[in-house]
Amino acid sequence: MLSDKSKKFTLIEISDEDVFEAMRSIQGYIDITPADFREVYKAAYGLAKMRFMQTLTAADIMTEGVHVLGENTSLYEAALFLAEKGITGAPVTDAQGKLSGVISEKDFMSCMGAEKRDSFMLIVARQLRDGKNLAENLNGRTVGDIMTAPAITISADTPVSRISSIMGEKNINRLPVLDSSGSLAGIVTRSDLISSFNMLGDGDA
Amino acid sequence: MRNFFGKMKGRTQSPPRVDMSEVIWSWTGSFIGISAVGLIHFSLLDQTSLIMIIGSFGASAVLVYGVTRSPLSQPRNLIGGHIISAATGVTAYLIAGKIPWLAAALAVSSAIAIMHITKTLHPPGGATALIAVIGGDSIHNLGYLYVLMPAGLGALTLLVIALLVNNLAPKRRYPEFWL
Repeated sequence: MLSDKSKKFTLIEISDEDVFEAMRSIQGYIDITPADFREVYKAAYGLAKMRFMQTLTAADIMTEGVHVLGENTSLYEAALFLAEKGITGAPVTDAQGKLSGVISEKDFMSCMGAEKRDSFMLIVARQLRDGKNLAENLNGRTVGDIMTAPAITISADTPVSRISSIMGEKNINRLPVLDSSGSLAGIVTRSDLISSFNMLGDGDA
Repeated sequence: MRNFFGKMKGRTQSPPRVDMSEVIWSWTGSFIGISAVGLIHFSLLDQTSLIMIIGSFGASAVLVYGVTRSPLSQPRNLIGGHIISAATGVTAYLIAGKIPWLAAALAVSSAIAIMHITKTLHPPGGATALIAVIGGDSIHNLGYLYVLMPAGLGALTLLVIALLVNNLAPKRRYPEFWL
Protein backbone atom coordinates (compact mmCIF):
# COMPACT_ATOMS: atom_id res chain seq x y z
CA MET A 1 0.00 0.00 0.00
CA LEU A 2 2.44 2.66 1.17
CA SER A 3 6.03 2.57 -0.01
CA ASP A 4 8.64 1.36 2.44
CA LYS A 5 10.25 4.76 2.46
CA SER A 6 7.27 6.42 4.03
CA LYS A 7 6.46 5.70 7.64
CA LYS A 8 3.75 3.12 8.02
CA PHE A 9 0.68 4.55 9.63
CA THR A 10 -0.29 2.31 12.51
CA LEU A 11 -3.56 2.56 14.33
CA ILE A 12 -3.62 3.39 17.99
CA GLU A 13 -3.27 0.15 19.90
CA ILE A 14 -6.13 -0.26 22.31
CA SER A 15 -5.50 -2.30 25.42
CA ASP A 16 -7.64 -4.90 27.15
CA GLU A 17 -8.03 -2.31 29.86
CA ASP A 18 -9.49 0.24 27.42
CA VAL A 19 -11.95 -2.31 26.11
CA PHE A 20 -12.83 -3.44 29.61
CA GLU A 21 -13.62 0.13 30.65
CA ALA A 22 -15.61 0.75 27.50
CA MET A 23 -17.62 -2.41 28.05
CA ARG A 24 -18.30 -1.37 31.58
CA SER A 25 -19.68 1.97 30.44
CA ILE A 26 -22.15 0.21 28.17
CA GLN A 27 -25.31 -1.01 29.80
CA GLY A 28 -25.94 -4.73 29.63
CA TYR A 29 -23.87 -7.89 29.48
CA ILE A 30 -21.77 -8.02 26.34
CA ASP A 31 -20.82 -11.60 25.75
CA ILE A 32 -17.47 -11.18 24.08
CA THR A 33 -14.05 -11.01 25.67
CA PRO A 34 -11.88 -7.90 25.46
CA ALA A 35 -9.45 -9.87 23.29
CA ASP A 36 -12.21 -10.71 20.82
CA PHE A 37 -13.19 -7.11 20.60
CA ARG A 38 -9.61 -6.06 19.96
CA GLU A 39 -9.34 -8.53 17.14
CA VAL A 40 -12.53 -7.31 15.52
CA TYR A 41 -11.54 -3.70 16.01
CA LYS A 42 -8.19 -4.22 14.36
CA ALA A 43 -9.64 -5.98 11.35
CA ALA A 44 -12.49 -3.51 10.93
CA TYR A 45 -10.16 -0.55 11.27
CA GLY A 46 -7.91 -1.99 8.62
CA LEU A 47 -10.82 -2.32 6.22
CA ALA A 48 -12.09 1.16 6.97
CA LYS A 49 -8.63 2.59 6.39
CA MET A 50 -8.32 0.74 3.12
CA ARG A 51 -11.70 2.07 2.00
CA PHE A 52 -10.73 5.58 3.04
CA MET A 53 -7.43 5.41 1.19
CA GLN A 54 -9.12 4.08 -1.92
CA THR A 55 -12.18 6.27 -2.07
CA LEU A 56 -10.69 9.62 -1.16
CA THR A 57 -9.14 11.08 -4.29
CA ALA A 58 -7.17 14.09 -5.42
CA ALA A 59 -10.43 15.78 -6.39
CA ASP A 60 -11.60 15.57 -2.77
CA ILE A 61 -8.58 17.14 -1.17
CA MET A 62 -7.04 19.42 -3.81
CA THR A 63 -6.95 23.18 -3.69
CA GLU A 64 -8.65 24.73 -6.69
CA GLY A 65 -7.91 28.14 -8.12
CA VAL A 66 -4.18 27.49 -8.32
CA HIS A 67 -1.69 30.35 -8.44
CA VAL A 68 0.33 29.78 -11.59
CA LEU A 69 3.61 31.30 -12.77
CA GLY A 70 4.64 31.81 -16.41
CA GLU A 71 7.90 30.41 -17.75
CA ASN A 72 9.08 33.83 -18.73
CA THR A 73 8.48 35.48 -15.39
CA SER A 74 11.70 36.78 -13.86
CA LEU A 75 12.83 35.13 -10.67
CA TYR A 76 12.51 38.44 -8.85
CA GLU A 77 8.86 38.68 -9.88
CA ALA A 78 8.30 35.04 -9.08
CA ALA A 79 9.79 35.35 -5.61
CA LEU A 80 7.69 38.42 -4.93
CA PHE A 81 4.58 36.63 -6.16
CA LEU A 82 5.15 33.53 -4.02
CA ALA A 83 5.85 35.66 -0.95
CA GLU A 84 2.73 37.70 -1.53
CA LYS A 85 0.52 34.64 -1.86
CA GLY A 86 2.16 32.98 1.11
CA ILE A 87 3.03 29.84 -0.82
CA THR A 88 6.32 28.03 -1.30
CA GLY A 89 5.86 26.89 -4.85
CA ALA A 90 3.60 26.92 -7.88
CA PRO A 91 2.96 25.17 -11.18
CA VAL A 92 4.52 26.80 -14.23
CA THR A 93 2.83 27.23 -17.61
CA ASP A 94 4.30 27.91 -21.03
CA ALA A 95 3.22 30.60 -23.48
CA GLN A 96 0.27 28.45 -24.62
CA GLY A 97 -0.88 28.12 -21.04
CA LYS A 98 0.08 24.45 -20.89
CA LEU A 99 1.64 23.08 -17.71
CA SER A 100 5.37 22.74 -18.26
CA GLY A 101 6.90 22.39 -14.81
CA VAL A 102 6.79 23.22 -11.12
CA ILE A 103 8.88 25.76 -9.26
CA SER A 104 9.48 25.79 -5.53
CA GLU A 105 11.83 27.13 -2.87
CA LYS A 106 14.02 24.11 -3.49
CA ASP A 107 14.72 25.27 -7.05
CA PHE A 108 15.68 28.70 -5.80
CA MET A 109 17.92 27.18 -3.17
CA SER A 110 19.74 24.89 -5.56
CA CYS A 111 20.29 27.87 -7.84
CA MET A 112 21.88 29.65 -4.87
CA GLY A 113 24.44 26.89 -4.58
CA ALA A 114 22.65 24.44 -2.35
CA GLU A 115 23.21 20.81 -3.20
CA LYS A 116 20.31 18.44 -3.19
CA ARG A 117 18.90 18.16 0.32
CA ASP A 118 20.94 21.10 1.63
CA SER A 119 18.97 23.34 3.84
CA PHE A 120 18.26 27.03 3.80
CA MET A 121 20.45 27.36 6.88
CA LEU A 122 23.46 26.14 4.92
CA ILE A 123 22.89 28.90 2.42
CA VAL A 124 22.72 31.42 5.24
CA ALA A 125 25.95 30.07 6.72
CA ARG A 126 27.78 30.24 3.41
CA GLN A 127 26.53 33.70 2.68
CA LEU A 128 27.87 34.85 6.05
CA ARG A 129 31.15 33.00 5.66
CA ASP A 130 31.97 34.03 2.11
CA GLY A 131 30.23 37.36 2.20
CA LYS A 132 29.31 36.76 -1.40
CA ASN A 133 25.78 37.49 -2.48
CA LEU A 134 24.36 34.10 -3.30
CA ALA A 135 21.14 35.51 -4.64
CA GLU A 136 23.33 36.98 -7.41
CA ASN A 137 22.88 33.73 -9.32
CA LEU A 138 19.18 34.40 -9.61
CA ASN A 139 19.66 37.68 -11.39
CA GLY A 140 18.34 37.93 -14.91
CA ARG A 141 17.02 34.40 -14.94
CA THR A 142 13.45 33.28 -15.43
CA VAL A 143 11.19 30.72 -13.88
CA GLY A 144 11.66 28.49 -16.92
CA ASP A 145 15.41 28.40 -16.32
CA ILE A 146 15.33 26.86 -12.88
CA MET A 147 11.98 25.07 -12.62
CA THR A 148 11.68 21.33 -12.24
CA ALA A 149 10.45 19.94 -15.53
CA PRO A 150 8.56 18.03 -16.67
CA ALA A 151 6.03 18.36 -13.90
CA ILE A 152 4.98 15.21 -12.08
CA THR A 153 1.20 15.36 -12.19
CA ILE A 154 -1.76 13.32 -10.99
CA SER A 155 -5.31 13.02 -12.25
CA ALA A 156 -8.41 14.03 -10.32
CA ASP A 157 -9.24 10.41 -9.49
CA THR A 158 -5.84 9.46 -8.07
CA PRO A 159 -6.47 7.94 -4.61
CA VAL A 160 -4.93 9.51 -1.53
CA SER A 161 -2.82 6.42 -0.91
CA ARG A 162 -1.15 6.84 -4.29
CA ILE A 163 -0.59 10.56 -3.75
CA SER A 164 1.23 9.99 -0.48
CA SER A 165 3.48 7.36 -2.00
CA ILE A 166 4.35 9.61 -4.96
CA MET A 167 5.24 12.48 -2.64
CA GLY A 168 7.30 10.14 -0.51
CA GLU A 169 9.17 8.53 -3.39
CA LYS A 170 9.89 11.69 -5.35
CA ASN A 171 10.41 13.78 -2.24
CA ILE A 172 8.17 16.58 -3.47
CA ASN A 173 5.64 18.76 -1.71
CA ARG A 174 3.07 19.55 -4.36
CA LEU A 175 1.39 17.77 -7.23
CA PRO A 176 -0.56 19.58 -9.94
CA VAL A 177 -3.88 17.86 -10.69
CA LEU A 178 -4.92 17.53 -14.32
CA ASP A 179 -8.52 16.99 -15.39
CA SER A 180 -9.51 14.57 -18.15
CA SER A 181 -8.75 17.13 -20.86
CA GLY A 182 -5.25 17.62 -19.52
CA SER A 183 -5.68 21.12 -18.16
CA LEU A 184 -4.81 22.20 -14.65
CA ALA A 185 -7.71 21.53 -12.27
CA GLY A 186 -6.00 22.12 -8.95
CA ILE A 187 -3.05 21.27 -6.78
CA VAL A 188 -2.50 18.87 -3.89
CA THR A 189 0.12 19.92 -1.38
CA ARG A 190 1.57 18.01 1.51
CA SER A 191 -0.64 19.98 3.88
CA ASP A 192 -3.77 19.02 1.91
CA LEU A 193 -2.66 15.45 2.35
CA ILE A 194 -2.10 15.90 6.07
CA SER A 195 -5.53 17.45 6.50
CA SER A 196 -7.08 14.45 4.82
CA PHE A 197 -5.35 12.15 7.31
CA ASN A 198 -6.90 14.07 10.18
CA MET A 199 -10.10 12.19 9.46
CA LEU A 200 -8.28 8.94 10.13
CA GLY A 201 -7.37 9.80 13.67
CA ASP A 202 -10.84 10.84 14.67
CA GLY A 203 -12.39 8.28 16.97
CA ASP A 204 -15.85 9.82 17.14
CA ALA A 205 -16.95 9.36 13.58
CA MET B 1 3.24 -28.96 21.77
CA ARG B 2 4.18 -25.91 23.78
CA ASN B 3 1.68 -23.96 21.72
CA PHE B 4 -1.02 -26.51 22.46
CA PHE B 5 -0.63 -26.15 26.22
CA GLY B 6 0.09 -22.45 25.91
CA LYS B 7 -3.42 -21.94 24.54
CA MET B 8 -4.82 -23.34 27.77
CA LYS B 9 -3.47 -20.39 29.74
CA GLY B 10 -6.03 -18.00 28.29
CA ARG B 11 -5.12 -14.60 26.94
CA THR B 12 -7.45 -11.95 28.28
CA GLN B 13 -9.48 -10.94 31.29
CA SER B 14 -13.09 -11.73 32.03
CA PRO B 15 -15.66 -9.11 30.98
CA PRO B 16 -16.88 -6.64 33.61
CA ARG B 17 -19.75 -7.32 36.00
CA VAL B 18 -23.01 -5.66 35.05
CA ASP B 19 -24.57 -3.12 37.39
CA MET B 20 -27.46 -3.71 39.73
CA SER B 21 -30.24 -2.43 37.47
CA GLU B 22 -29.21 -4.99 34.89
CA VAL B 23 -29.39 -7.73 37.52
CA ILE B 24 -32.85 -6.63 38.58
CA TRP B 25 -34.18 -6.49 35.03
CA SER B 26 -32.70 -9.90 34.29
CA TRP B 27 -34.43 -11.31 37.33
CA THR B 28 -37.74 -9.65 36.53
CA GLY B 29 -37.77 -10.73 32.89
CA SER B 30 -36.87 -14.32 33.59
CA PHE B 31 -39.31 -14.53 36.49
CA ILE B 32 -42.19 -13.40 34.31
CA GLY B 33 -41.02 -15.40 31.30
CA ILE B 34 -40.69 -18.68 33.13
CA SER B 35 -43.96 -18.04 35.00
CA ALA B 36 -45.74 -17.72 31.66
CA VAL B 37 -44.09 -20.82 30.19
CA GLY B 38 -44.75 -22.72 33.43
CA LEU B 39 -48.42 -21.72 33.56
CA ILE B 40 -48.99 -22.82 29.99
CA HIS B 41 -47.20 -26.11 30.51
CA PHE B 42 -48.62 -27.00 33.91
CA SER B 43 -52.20 -26.05 33.19
CA LEU B 44 -52.58 -26.75 29.50
CA LEU B 45 -50.33 -29.71 28.97
CA ASP B 46 -50.30 -31.17 32.43
CA GLN B 47 -48.16 -34.15 31.54
CA THR B 48 -45.17 -34.91 33.68
CA SER B 49 -42.72 -35.71 30.96
CA LEU B 50 -43.52 -32.55 29.04
CA ILE B 51 -42.20 -30.65 32.04
CA MET B 52 -38.70 -31.68 31.02
CA ILE B 53 -38.76 -29.18 28.21
CA ILE B 54 -38.94 -26.45 30.83
CA GLY B 55 -35.28 -27.17 31.56
CA SER B 56 -34.50 -26.07 28.07
CA PHE B 57 -36.48 -22.85 28.51
CA GLY B 58 -34.67 -22.10 31.77
CA ALA B 59 -31.51 -21.93 29.71
CA SER B 60 -33.21 -19.72 27.13
CA ALA B 61 -34.28 -17.38 29.91
CA VAL B 62 -30.63 -16.78 30.86
CA LEU B 63 -29.95 -15.60 27.34
CA VAL B 64 -33.12 -13.74 26.50
CA TYR B 65 -33.42 -11.88 29.83
CA GLY B 66 -29.81 -11.87 31.00
CA VAL B 67 -27.83 -11.24 27.80
CA THR B 68 -30.34 -9.30 25.72
CA ARG B 69 -27.66 -7.94 23.35
CA SER B 70 -26.18 -11.26 22.46
CA PRO B 71 -26.66 -12.60 18.94
CA LEU B 72 -27.55 -15.91 20.62
CA SER B 73 -30.51 -14.22 22.31
CA GLN B 74 -32.21 -12.68 19.31
CA PRO B 75 -35.67 -13.81 18.09
CA ARG B 76 -34.22 -15.58 15.06
CA ASN B 77 -32.03 -17.68 17.34
CA LEU B 78 -34.59 -18.18 20.11
CA ILE B 79 -37.41 -19.38 17.86
CA GLY B 80 -35.25 -20.83 15.10
CA GLY B 81 -32.88 -22.59 17.49
CA HIS B 82 -35.65 -24.38 19.38
CA ILE B 83 -37.65 -25.34 16.30
CA ILE B 84 -34.67 -26.58 14.31
CA SER B 85 -33.23 -28.46 17.27
CA ALA B 86 -36.60 -30.02 18.08
CA ALA B 87 -36.99 -31.25 14.51
CA THR B 88 -33.42 -32.54 14.52
CA GLY B 89 -33.97 -34.33 17.84
CA VAL B 90 -37.16 -36.03 16.69
CA THR B 91 -35.44 -37.12 13.49
CA ALA B 92 -32.43 -38.47 15.39
CA TYR B 93 -34.78 -40.50 17.60
CA LEU B 94 -36.60 -41.92 14.58
CA ILE B 95 -33.30 -42.91 12.99
CA ALA B 96 -31.37 -44.23 15.98
CA GLY B 97 -33.90 -44.52 18.81
CA LYS B 98 -33.00 -48.15 19.38
CA ILE B 99 -29.56 -47.09 20.63
CA PRO B 100 -30.32 -44.29 23.10
CA TRP B 101 -26.77 -42.99 23.61
CA LEU B 102 -26.21 -42.77 19.85
CA ALA B 103 -29.54 -41.07 19.21
CA ALA B 104 -28.79 -38.58 21.97
CA ALA B 105 -25.34 -37.74 20.59
CA LEU B 106 -26.63 -37.54 17.05
CA ALA B 107 -29.46 -35.23 18.12
CA VAL B 108 -27.25 -32.71 19.91
CA SER B 109 -24.35 -32.66 17.46
CA SER B 110 -26.59 -32.39 14.42
CA ALA B 111 -28.68 -29.70 16.09
CA ILE B 112 -25.53 -27.64 16.68
CA ALA B 113 -24.38 -28.14 13.10
CA ILE B 114 -27.73 -27.20 11.58
CA MET B 115 -28.13 -24.19 13.89
CA HIS B 116 -24.71 -23.03 12.73
CA ILE B 117 -25.62 -23.44 9.08
CA THR B 118 -28.92 -21.63 9.48
CA LYS B 119 -27.47 -18.88 11.70
CA THR B 120 -29.87 -19.77 14.48
CA LEU B 121 -27.36 -20.90 17.12
CA HIS B 122 -29.12 -20.94 20.49
CA PRO B 123 -27.45 -23.03 23.22
CA PRO B 124 -30.71 -24.26 24.82
CA GLY B 125 -31.48 -25.83 21.44
CA GLY B 126 -29.02 -28.55 22.44
CA ALA B 127 -31.26 -29.41 25.38
CA THR B 128 -34.38 -29.31 23.21
CA ALA B 129 -32.80 -31.77 20.78
CA LEU B 130 -31.63 -34.02 23.62
CA ILE B 131 -35.06 -34.05 25.32
CA ALA B 132 -36.64 -35.22 22.05
CA VAL B 133 -34.57 -38.37 22.49
CA ILE B 134 -34.53 -38.94 26.26
CA GLY B 135 -37.87 -37.37 27.17
CA GLY B 136 -39.78 -40.64 27.39
CA ASP B 137 -42.87 -42.05 25.73
CA SER B 138 -45.20 -39.09 25.90
CA ILE B 139 -42.63 -36.98 24.01
CA HIS B 140 -41.90 -39.76 21.53
CA ASN B 141 -45.64 -40.11 20.95
CA LEU B 142 -45.89 -36.48 19.87
CA GLY B 143 -43.69 -37.17 16.84
CA TYR B 144 -43.03 -33.99 14.91
CA LEU B 145 -45.76 -32.16 16.83
CA TYR B 146 -43.00 -31.78 19.47
CA VAL B 147 -41.50 -29.13 17.18
CA LEU B 148 -44.52 -26.84 17.45
CA MET B 149 -45.65 -27.77 20.93
CA PRO B 150 -44.02 -27.65 23.45
CA ALA B 151 -40.82 -26.43 21.75
CA GLY B 152 -42.16 -23.70 19.45
CA LEU B 153 -44.89 -22.59 21.82
CA GLY B 154 -42.52 -22.17 24.76
CA ALA B 155 -40.02 -20.21 22.71
CA LEU B 156 -42.77 -17.95 21.43
CA THR B 157 -44.00 -17.31 24.97
CA LEU B 158 -40.50 -16.32 26.08
CA LEU B 159 -40.21 -14.03 23.06
CA VAL B 160 -43.45 -12.17 23.78
CA ILE B 161 -42.42 -11.56 27.39
CA ALA B 162 -38.94 -10.51 26.28
CA LEU B 163 -40.38 -7.94 23.89
CA LEU B 164 -42.57 -6.51 26.63
CA VAL B 165 -40.22 -6.59 29.62
CA ASN B 166 -36.86 -5.85 28.00
CA ASN B 167 -38.23 -2.73 26.34
CA LEU B 168 -39.73 -1.47 29.58
CA ALA B 169 -36.19 -1.23 30.95
CA PRO B 170 -34.93 2.28 30.17
CA LYS B 171 -31.43 1.13 29.20
CA ARG B 172 -32.36 -2.01 27.34
CA ARG B 173 -33.69 -2.63 23.89
CA TYR B 174 -34.83 -5.86 22.32
CA PRO B 175 -34.34 -7.23 19.77
CA GLU B 176 -31.12 -6.13 18.14
CA PHE B 177 -32.37 -7.69 14.92
CA TRP B 178 -35.22 -9.89 13.73
CA LEU B 179 -33.76 -11.79 10.81
